[in-house]
Amino acid sequence: MTKRSVDPARRRSATQVSRRGLLGAGALGASALSLAGCSTPLAAGLLGADLAPGTVVYWNLFGGGDGVRMQDMQQGYRDQYGADSLQATTLTWGNPYYSKLTLATVGNQPPDVAVAHLTRAKPLWDGGILDPITEEDLAGVGLSSSDFAAQAWETQVTDSQNIAIPLDTHPFTLFYNREVCEPAGLLDADGLLVDLTGMDAFEAALEELSAVTGGLAITVANVSETSTPWRFFWTLYNQISDATPFLSDDGATISVDEEAFLEVMERVRSWVDKGWLNQGLDYATSQTEMFTGSSGFYLQGEWEISTAQSIEGLDFGMAPIPQLYDQPAVQADSHTFILPRKDRSAEERRLAMQFIKVMLEQSMTWAEGGHVPAYLPTFESEEFQSLEPQRHYAAAADHAVYDDAAWYGGSGSTFEDTVGAQLGLVQQGVLTPEQALQAIRDQLQIYTSTPSPL
Amino acid sequence: MTTTSRVDPRAAAATTGVRRRGRTGRTTPAAWLFIAPFALFYVAFMIGPTLWMFIASFFNTSTVHAGLGSFAGLDNYLEMFSRDDFWSALWHTLQFTLYTVPPLVLLAFVFAVLTNRAARGQWFFRLAFFLPFILPSATISLIWVFIFTPANGLWSLPAQLLGLPAGAGMLADPGTAMIGIAIATIWWTIGFNFVLYLAGLQDIPRELYEAAAVDGATPWQQIRSITIPLLRRTTALVILLQIIASLKIFDQVYLMTGGGPGISTQVVLGLITDTAFTDNRIGAASAASVLLFLIVLVIAVVQQIVERAGIARERAS
Amino acid sequence: MTATDTRRRRRSGVSAAAPARAVHAGGGGRGFTIASTTVLVVFAIIWLIPSLFAVKTSLSPNGVAALGAQEILTNWSPTLESYTSLLRQGDIWNWYLSSALTSVITAVLTLLFASMAAFALSRLRFAGRAAVYLLIIAGLMIPSQVLIVPIFEELRLLQLLNTYWAVILPQVPSVIAVFIFKQFFDGIPREIEEAARVDGAGLWRTYWSVVMPLSRPVTAAVAILTFVWTWNNLLLPLFVLSNPNLMTIPVGLATVQGTFGLRYADIQAGAILAALPLVVLYMFFQRQIVEGVTGSGLKG
Repeated sequence: MTKRSVDPARRRSATQVSRRGLLGAGALGASALSLAGCSTPLAAGLLGADLAPGTVVYWNLFGGGDGVRMQDMQQGYRDQYGADSLQATTLTWGNPYYSKLTLATVGNQPPDVAVAHLTRAKPLWDGGILDPITEEDLAGVGLSSSDFAAQAWETQVTDSQNIAIPLDTHPFTLFYNREVCEPAGLLDADGLLVDLTGMDAFEAALEELSAVTGGLAITVANVSETSTPWRFFWTLYNQISDATPFLSDDGATISVDEEAFLEVMERVRSWVDKGWLNQGLDYATSQTEMFTGSSGFYLQGEWEISTAQSIEGLDFGMAPIPQLYDQPAVQADSHTFILPRKDRSAEERRLAMQFIKVMLEQSMTWAEGGHVPAYLPTFESEEFQSLEPQRHYAAAADHAVYDDAAWYGGSGSTFEDTVGAQLGLVQQGVLTPEQALQAIRDQLQIYTSTPSPL
Repeated sequence: MTTTSRVDPRAAAATTGVRRRGRTGRTTPAAWLFIAPFALFYVAFMIGPTLWMFIASFFNTSTVHAGLGSFAGLDNYLEMFSRDDFWSALWHTLQFTLYTVPPLVLLAFVFAVLTNRAARGQWFFRLAFFLPFILPSATISLIWVFIFTPANGLWSLPAQLLGLPAGAGMLADPGTAMIGIAIATIWWTIGFNFVLYLAGLQDIPRELYEAAAVDGATPWQQIRSITIPLLRRTTALVILLQIIASLKIFDQVYLMTGGGPGISTQVVLGLITDTAFTDNRIGAASAASVLLFLIVLVIAVVQQIVERAGIARERAS
Repeated sequence: MTATDTRRRRRSGVSAAAPARAVHAGGGGRGFTIASTTVLVVFAIIWLIPSLFAVKTSLSPNGVAALGAQEILTNWSPTLESYTSLLRQGDIWNWYLSSALTSVITAVLTLLFASMAAFALSRLRFAGRAAVYLLIIAGLMIPSQVLIVPIFEELRLLQLLNTYWAVILPQVPSVIAVFIFKQFFDGIPREIEEAARVDGAGLWRTYWSVVMPLSRPVTAAVAILTFVWTWNNLLLPLFVLSNPNLMTIPVGLATVQGTFGLRYADIQAGAILAALPLVVLYMFFQRQIVEGVTGSGLKG
């Protein structure tokens, strides 16, 4: 089935009965309304009234350190526009979040603004869950497309429309423990990781590290964890020149380059066999191994910077994942702001954009959490360019490779879960790369053979 | 049913003098007015959705578009039959049933028999065993997820004190996650079976025990030859209800593991809601719903038959 | 039903423990009694531990709770901090409101409609009575949870998603409530209402002023159980309420995460706050709840 064109008229249900009218006619009627006042949950729950006119309702999915920084940024907005100007809710991460976002929009009560991963914004757009963001919307709050990092901005453009405003790019990165790298001779005079471009240089480094720790050289989580194996694979795979997309036709075709797939996964296996890479570690332990010096390198998204910084006595650095094959590439995604589809007055639109603008202006706060700002005025600022260790890996954003567009794809999606689980099993030695590829094909078959519901 | 037929004797007495009239009665068309409100809701939210579910299961219905979508024929069903995760979800349901039913039946029986014998403190035992049953699944899950915290949770405390290795944690390991869910469920729902057994025990005439005691039967012999046989019907009921409840399990899994790690604890209702509300595929989700519906229906029919047979036997004797 | 009669006699009259004591006197087995009591007490304590541990955690500072079970059990520095901080945030009050309102309205509508239907089925003769009865019996076997997907679609069509009605209306047609009422009504002597009718009471008055007042115990049981079931329902509100201001308390706890990392004491306090109204209810209506649950075995 071809992807349906986006017809704004069709999006608004033709049979849209006045919701308030229908409910108002119902049992409780007017007395409850006058009792409840106008913008209380009671009126909303009983009569479907708009919950908070004039307030920006905002959803996000940030926990941990990101959550704390996002709270600070929200407070920044409240400081400017009043305590009641914003109602923010943090929902549980992953599929449930996007599910809630879809159901709220379908159920006529979406937030005014929400956070979405760029790779998840596309399926939402295809499903008619998003309002496009016009140049006028941007201009209205003094923004333009030239204010954003090119890679992220161009990736969000879909069907020639702006569907999401990127806040950051968050690449997969390399964390290193200086106390292990130093004796391995991998630090330069400034205490930074030496250039490890090329497979030979990198494997030599792993060997050195292994000699220092007497065991692991690098840790990548692969137990009870599917996203990390995927990020690891997708980074290396895209460094091979001419590697084809994993999925094509919005997910209808598995177009992965088998040779490249096998090359990467056999490489991963060989590192495990040599004792350099962990066979099976969960997310937290893969981190702890590097923190405690049992391993020299640790691969994860840059957001783990907060955790690393909170470890007392840990001397760590961060670097882009070296180019091991033919070209630089690194798996990444972006946090973006989206406007869920809803009837908005011009004023409501402006308020939503104003909120986004204020968030972008606080990108420096956000960057402290490791994320590379997509907002160029911040990215190019003296302040960010001197931020340690962020400045050392910020360039990775230029080589960001996003997950392929698919209706079941994106960060934390069914696709990542399915593929990541098999990749994790290869690293564990449970499956051969060939078996994993076959399993991936088998398990994705349901999705490739099904017409997109979007 | 224990709540039934409690008649106020005073009210009954007050009517004895009244002349009987129209015992056979005429038909009362106005009865429909009494049925109507319930019937409206029953049709709107039971019959209607059931029919719609069957219809949608033959279409590519989407969550984000209005209408049924394109006709899919049997595709949704064929898909479910060919999906490993559908079969594994069914298997997890069976696995959950196997883990929970024996302890729920045995422990509930033991607790009920012992509580019934207890000379005092019955309120305390009822509180301990029954109270969790009426608490929300969200409360139960939050408590147990915390108890199962890897390395330093309450569950690992005994191992910790004995210096045994901590392991990945009950819910983090695909091999034990379902056991963790089962333990929480047993703790949560045993109260239901417990009160069913207690009620059953109170139906057993005490003369039987007295006679047995006079004959010199030990307490154990009394339980084996009187209690267990007479509670057979309750036990059958308990097991069937438990199986049906297991088939419909959703809350604990969604809240405690989200179906994970991987899909190691995913159950059918979780698969259905994921398909409908994450993949946005209402049609496929409806097909899975129909299949689950039919399975539950078959077992529910068996339950009704067992129960009716039991009642008939009781009446006959 | 003969079983019912014996049970009723026992429950209301002789203490349930009486037969057991009689047996002890005759059958001996003092050792057995001691052993069985010990076993029972041990299990009861085991069964209480999770709840007590949750309470203890919720009364600990977050800093202590983060250190693990051993610290929670040994560190005695009780504080209500978690409760006050939760109650200070608006969310939990909105969730309480949502849970309370949906549970009460569902209970009231269920009571009214189920008892009316049961009255007609038990008391009145009308064409199609047998068919209606059969159809409703069939409803006992329909697993309503399995209907979550079509019910969601229907509520969307009715534009009721994200309103309390989305939680209330689908739970109103409770077949089991009709059965409980019908069985009770069947036991009320016909003479009573016939007397009323002789006095000129219409059907409605017979139902409302004669039958219902006689049915207080069963009404209370159905009301409380419906309240508890609605309060505890997760599946339906989870998918039909996506606005955090309108969520019921179990859904809110499951969906909205605290922003400051894992605050275990707060989480346990939230779990306890969600359960608290039900614990209170149990304290006051223990007998109705236990008997209602027993009687409704079919609801599962």
